[in-house]
Amino acid sequence: MNTFEFTHEPLEPAALSAALADPAAGGFAAFEGRVRNQNDGRDVSRLEYEAFEELAQVEGEHIVAEALRRHGALRGRCVHRLGALAIGEVAVWVGVAAAHRAEAFAACRQIIDEIKHRLPIWKKEHFADGDSGWVNCTHCAEAARVPDFDYSRQLVLPEIGTTGQQRLAQSTVIVIGAGGLGCAVLSGLAGAGIGTIVIVDDDVVDPANLHRQPLYTPDDVGRQKAGAAAARLAAYNPTIRLRPMPVRLTAANAKEIVALGNVVVDCSDNFATKFLVNDAAVLTGRPAVLASVYQYEGQLQVVRADARGSCLRCQWPEATRDGLVGNCAESGVLGPVPAVLGSLQAMEVLKLLLDLPGQMRDEILLVDLLDLGQRRLNAPRARECNDRCARIRSVDAAAPTPELEIALPLAEAAAQGYRIIDIRNPEECAQTPLPLGGHQSIPLPRLLDAASTLDPRLRYLLVCAHGIRSRAAAEQLRAGGRGNFWSLRGGLARQG
Amino acid sequence: MARVHLRYYALLREQAGRQTETVETAAQTPEALYAELAARHGFRLAQSQLKVAVNASFTDWTCPLADGDEVVFIPPVAGG
Repeated sequence: MNTFEFTHEPLEPAALSAALADPAAGGFAAFEGRVRNQNDGRDVSRLEYEAFEELAQVEGEHIVAEALRRHGALRGRCVHRLGALAIGEVAVWVGVAAAHRAEAFAACRQIIDEIKHRLPIWKKEHFADGDSGWVNCTHCAEAARVPDFDYSRQLVLPEIGTTGQQRLAQSTVIVIGAGGLGCAVLSGLAGAGIGTIVIVDDDVVDPANLHRQPLYTPDDVGRQKAGAAAARLAAYNPTIRLRPMPVRLTAANAKEIVALGNVVVDCSDNFATKFLVNDAAVLTGRPAVLASVYQYEGQLQVVRADARGSCLRCQWPEATRDGLVGNCAESGVLGPVPAVLGSLQAMEVLKLLLDLPGQMRDEILLVDLLDLGQRRLNAPRARECNDRCARIRSVDAAAPTPELEIALPLAEAAAQGYRIIDIRNPEECAQTPLPLGGHQSIPLPRLLDAASTLDPRLRYLLVCAHGIRSRAAAEQLRAGGRGNFWSLRGGLARQG
Repeated sequence: MARVHLRYYALLREQAGRQTETVETAAQTPEALYAELAARHGFRLAQSQLKVAVNASFTDWTCPLADGDEVVFIPPVAGG
């Protein structure tokens, strides 16, 4: 049973109340909103309701959950009619069951007030004289009001002023990833008055995100991050445009998305996306501000391929494969670390857009928040990149290679002529030996460096515990031009 | 023998169990130095996964090391 629903059928309050029966509830309060026969002194003959259903549905469930939690009520539900209604019909019904009457009344009141205030629902009034007209929902009426957002504290900075502020208002910034880095970047840019912010993230809010992603609340768990962040930021600064894009950045859409903005900010948590952002920025001539965090540390880099600066591939010609080093989920992270790095990214974006002094380029900043040390390393443009980057073949290079993985019992793979290489570290091998003989044991780091010494005419099958490291290693080796490596899908865990 | 100062980040810091150290080494290049340190600290990252900076500039693995150099091995990180 959804806690918020639309229906085109007449509402039946008795059945709706019965469905909220709860033995622990000593109080039950219900509200019915009914169609009345006049408005502003004019006789009304009937009403029509229309809604932006997808948005209202999600938001409606949030409203019910918020009210129940705030007042400690047990169960609640709201059902709203759509379509044509006659005088006296019930247009909206709210019911709340709680231990005592006070919580039931309060939560019921909050739900109907918030529904009227927040949901995109429109009402068309048909008057007795034959006239009719749409009544804006409160939500939309509010959106139409020009709100106030005071930039005076940054306007007084001599480098900004009204000209600079105008420049920010005319800018579009693309933010890839609305996680720990993204929350800090988005807050900083929204507050500064960037005219349009595009938020690209296909992930949903997970409870484990909340400690470092303060744009979300526990109520947002399960919601799309792009939409939730856009809603929160729209409430924070109503003068800017927010464009949520709940899609994954892929080789197919990266250039198109990056080209929408003046600057792109990479706040992703994986190498595949970072390299896509870098490559798309270079190919479309947009500056990119990249950052990554690891436990208590972070790295920051501003890619100015648009101005003959260096890019990620000047230092790392081949995209690093995910799975070869840790990420936040595996290695842990403390909230202020992405917050600091994200704020540095927002600052670099503003420096770029406002043409402020001290912009980063051709360098990488390493920040350690435990000892507060930082290092600026010179990272010059690669020698072979004269007029244009010589190291990006195309963004499609990131597409997965077919037949990288094979799923076979190990003995059968060996019978088919694959040379088996166990790439686990020695402790893992000792603990769970491979269930067949005749294989080689080359731990992953050694394999990556020693692969050129292996016979290129033979086919090698890499094996690890779960097939993640072996897949990453095979990808990395193939990217380096060695096509004779495969990965055992699912690793030893799937051998049974 | 050269005396070089090292600074570790991310995975390397964890595996070395320290942020900085100063070592006396016979290694003539960052490549040889990394091999020596990898054996001592049990580093699990391949040299090909890392970049090296000497005295705050990225450099290649075969440049000569001098007494007093500061060497940083930089692992790629992707967390966000």
